[in-house]
Amino acid sequence: MLLPLTVVERCMMEPNSYGQLCINDLKSSFVGWRVWYTLALNDVKRRYRRSRLGQFWLTLSMALTIGGLGLVYSVLFKMNVAEYLPYISVTFVFWSIISSGIIESCSAFIESEGLIRHTTIPRATPVFRVQLRSWLITLHNFAIIPAVFLVFQFPVNWNLLWLIPGLALVIVNILWVGYFLAIVSARFRDVPQIVASVMQIVFFITPIMFRPTQLGHNGLVLMLNPFAYLLEIVRDPLLGVTPNALAFVVCAIMAVVGSLLILPFAGRYAPRVVYWL
Amino acid sequence: MDILNVASAKPTMSDSLPYIHLDNTSVILPIYNARGRALKAELLRRTVGGNLDSSTDPHIVIVRALDGVTINLEHGDRIALIGRNGSGKTTLLRVLAGIYPPTGGTISIHGRVSALTDMSMGMDMEATGYENVFLRGVVMGLSAAQAESLIPDIEQFTELGEYLCLPVRTYSSGMMLRLAFAISTTVQPEILLLDEMVGAGDSAFIAKARDRIEGLIHKSSIMVLASHDDQLVTRLCTRAIWMDSGRVRAFGPVEEILADYHAAVGS
Repeated sequence: MLLPLTVVERCMMEPNSYGQLCINDLKSSFVGWRVWYTLALNDVKRRYRRSRLGQFWLTLSMALTIGGLGLVYSVLFKMNVAEYLPYISVTFVFWSIISSGIIESCSAFIESEGLIRHTTIPRATPVFRVQLRSWLITLHNFAIIPAVFLVFQFPVNWNLLWLIPGLALVIVNILWVGYFLAIVSARFRDVPQIVASVMQIVFFITPIMFRPTQLGHNGLVLMLNPFAYLLEIVRDPLLGVTPNALAFVVCAIMAVVGSLLILPFAGRYAPRVVYWL
Repeated sequence: MDILNVASAKPTMSDSLPYIHLDNTSVILPIYNARGRALKAELLRRTVGGNLDSSTDPHIVIVRALDGVTINLEHGDRIALIGRNGSGKTTLLRVLAGIYPPTGGTISIHGRVSALTDMSMGMDMEATGYENVFLRGVVMGLSAAQAESLIPDIEQFTELGEYLCLPVRTYSSGMMLRLAFAISTTVQPEILLLDEMVGAGDSAFIAKARDRIEGLIHKSSIMVLASHDDQLVTRLCTRAIWMDSGRVRAFGPVEEILADYHAAVGS
């Protein structure tokens, strides 16, 4: 049995090639996809090992939350339950994907401490592991959406296809934010708590429980909220609305700029993570 | 800062002989206390910190774990690392394994490296013995089929039998050691890095483990052993590196270096 070859070449690089360093690391992480894929699957298995309902325990609790909120808030907002429940089920499920992707990535390096201090797996591998795990777990909640849509006979149309580019942009944005937070959290251990409380605040100012139109002329809070755009590009396709071009443009710009910023940052600081654990 | 470029190549035989070259390699470790690890405290310090202690940050201790180490290890080298506790032996092993990127100087590693330090690290306590074999195999870079194929050897070496189907958290420390050791030593590396030989376990297991490790040593191209056991070191190694406060104090034939070391330490 042969171990994979470890090749560590010395390179004296100018600071502007930190980005190249990160790209090389990402490449080896992709080539070794089996590592993060296997670890993520094992994480999912472990999380539900001792529970009988398994993976669907979380889905059930989210379905109850959505049902309860839908009944109460449709009365508060004086909206038709048949319209409000499909809306809130879509926003809630996607919010859980975005927020758990961001919150969980804070612990990417911290929880993989043993692997990082013991092996030479590429630095991006723990980040991909956490992201894949978070998607696998939250994707179960997707089952809620068709169920609600069927019950209320809510129509779906060809705008649904916009979900594909929408999801792609959400994935890229969560990835770069997650990689950044993973590095910062390894250095500053209070970052995960800070992020969790910030996400709690964002939950209330993002159109999850309310509709953007309900804000009327006070829409500035949405215009400046990047999460509102991220949510919009995956929410509208499912609700049968033609998505807003501005939201797609904003998300694409965030994805490109964020990725360009994270490459040199990760190239410079990710190798040091092993000294911070 | 000098940079490492770690790339795992295709799992074919390496086309050239393995080597490790360190050139003026340093590792400077920051040790943070609770305040140094908090972003809130850091922001406060930077914004309203004043000039009371601006010259040095009291919350960060800088440790020079390796200080300008230059060594070349080539095919056939059997190296002992000796020195007191805290002299940088383990840090040097981690640098040689490619785990610690040097903060100064350069390093080139070429070969299939296996570092037998903290062998039980990275075990999943909730997973069964079999699952752990598979997980560790995949992390080592093996394919699913290759990782599965490690199982017969590990079954036979650990003699854990049915216990391999149970979660690892139910194992005693001796059983845990057997499993971790078996997994870590099941694959033959070209460059073998050892931090002390196995100590725990019952005597039958220790004998068996020694045989297994010595088998690995004989087939490896480069071996580095950090140890305080003079007999072991003279038997297994040809040359020795004497580490002293992060520096290489001497590098030469094992008997000479051991004699100098004991003369200096006074034992």
